[in-house]
Amino acid sequence: MPENEVTLRMRRRAKELLAGGEVQQVIGWEKGTFWYQSPPVFIRQPEEADRLVWDDFCLANPAIYLLDDRYGQERVGLFVKGCDARAVVRLIQDRQLVRERVYLLGIPCPGLKDPEAARTTGRESAQLPPARRCQHCLYPNPVLYDELLAQTVAPRPPLAPRAAVKALEAKGVEERFRYWREHFRRCLRCFACRNVCPACNCTACLFDLARPTWLAKEVDPANNWFYGLVRALHVAGRCIECGECERVCPVGLPLMALNEKLAKDLEELFGFKGAGLDLEGLPPLSFWQPDDPDHFA
Amino acid sequence: MPWLKDEAMPAFLAALQSQGRLWVPVEEEWGSCLAVWEEKSLRLTPGPTLLAAKGLFLPQTEKLFHYRVEAEGAVISESEPPAAAARQIVFGLRPCDVAAVAVMDKVFLDGGYVDCAYRARREASALVALACREAAPTCFCRAFGLDPLAAPGADVLLLPLEGGYLVRAQTAKGEELLAQAQGVLAQEPALDWPAPPAFLLEVTAAGVPAKLAAMFDHPLWDNLYQKCLGCGICTYLCPTCYCFDVQSADRGTEGYRYRCWDSCMFPEYTLMAGGHNPRPTKKERVRNRFLHKLCYLPERFGVFGCVGCGRCLLKCPVNLDIAAVLKKVQEVGTHV
Repeated sequence: MPENEVTLRMRRRAKELLAGGEVQQVIGWEKGTFWYQSPPVFIRQPEEADRLVWDDFCLANPAIYLLDDRYGQERVGLFVKGCDARAVVRLIQDRQLVRERVYLLGIPCPGLKDPEAARTTGRESAQLPPARRCQHCLYPNPVLYDELLAQTVAPRPPLAPRAAVKALEAKGVEERFRYWREHFRRCLRCFACRNVCPACNCTACLFDLARPTWLAKEVDPANNWFYGLVRALHVAGRCIECGECERVCPVGLPLMALNEKLAKDLEELFGFKGAGLDLEGLPPLSFWQPDDPDHFA
Repeated sequence: MPWLKDEAMPAFLAALQSQGRLWVPVEEEWGSCLAVWEEKSLRLTPGPTLLAAKGLFLPQTEKLFHYRVEAEGAVISESEPPAAAARQIVFGLRPCDVAAVAVMDKVFLDGGYVDCAYRARREASALVALACREAAPTCFCRAFGLDPLAAPGADVLLLPLEGGYLVRAQTAKGEELLAQAQGVLAQEPALDWPAPPAFLLEVTAAGVPAKLAAMFDHPLWDNLYQKCLGCGICTYLCPTCYCFDVQSADRGTEGYRYRCWDSCMFPEYTLMAGGHNPRPTKKERVRNRFLHKLCYLPERFGVFGCVGCGRCLLKCPVNLDIAAVLKKVQEVGTHV
């Protein structure tokens, strides 16, 4: 059981917040079945707070669980990494959450490790490569918080920024078509990428609607593709690039390449630096300005 | 007993392939699955393939019939029944996977209604199982009384030993398969029966069905579901999850009806006409999934709906671990 300083602080603050009645619940991480798993945990009793941990595998984004009680009254203590805090900002901007309902305990994030590498190589944590999404992270420090549990960290220069997108852009149209067709062919349509996504916060999803049926339940390349591409376009400008969709995909679809492509386009078209960086900056596709680029005209 | 030398494996697979479409475990960049055998495509790793064999018997999407509206009325043309001609041999199924097929058989063949499409595929299939000398970290088949060195229900069982495999036909279908492979099989060398593999997860299912039968309203469920994402990974990777939906694809005056896998983890699964949903939240859905596997199926068919293959444990993004659930159920008091 890792008992680093941040872990101990998490437990102490969770106990204080719960015992003092400032929050009714805290959401953080605990150790899972295997040493390279740190799944989300929900704590209501101060005496349970010792289950909390902070380690190299706290990849899950606890902010998405706020949606399960989006109309509730309870105040929730939420532990947030840089990416998690951006998710909270997005939920507030999308009116899915009022700021007062969360008490944010920020954790400046040194970058997490790849649990799949841990599983397959069995190497100890220090020897593991960073989680894929952490290789490109520009915002390891929480952008919104009520308190910080550690000193802020300096963002590392991203390794090969947008490398996946650039590699795909360099291919011809035919080749890109084949690339995505081959990937989406194996999509199981489990919807894990959507369910884990903080940008996917609609109360009813078009892909779930039976009447009308936008997305047929047939699992075939055409419908899989429709699902994957429409979802990517739908979260354009709202995706915080946390990489959770790609992490949870059971068949390893390179979903972040799509999201990064859209983020890159938004940056080039609108100078957009990223979703959820502050409460004021709205996603460029959420409003209109007369001088917006208009290539279709 | 016949003996298959390691180096004779390709010839053995070729002999199987001459008798039908041969599916073998392969390793893709993203994970392992069953694919039609090609020279050197076989990859054997401990534990089962990531994607189970169930799609070979219950395809994820399958057309049932076409319809067309004409002046005189509707014309229905049934899809070709999955032809008996499509003979398939599924190689490398682990004992858990063979047990899973037996669960599917209970549902689709012995449950009071015989599913003709499933039956056609099953009857056209031969199962060649591979005993486990090594368990994956996520394996816990012993919790359900399975023997990793045996696969009752498989047509042929291969037991890996030093330098080769002991090959045993377990059914008439298996004998037929092996008859065509005699040329590549040798006689059994004198070898000791191996010890079963060691398992990392210590878990049993003892007493769980009876205990769960009285736990529908137990507070256990109040916490267990919270981290669930409500996605379909566990159900779609599960080798025994058999739920399906029937839908229509309408194209003007014609169209077709198909069935496709469905997941009890999805809200829409239990959504009724009129808008009522008897399993409105993740709590009810998670509870149902575990009760179905660990209580309802044992009650109805005398088999668990879990074979301990560990696929859900491997891929659940939030580690909602059915082995841990078994332990929890055994530990908690039953008073509510």
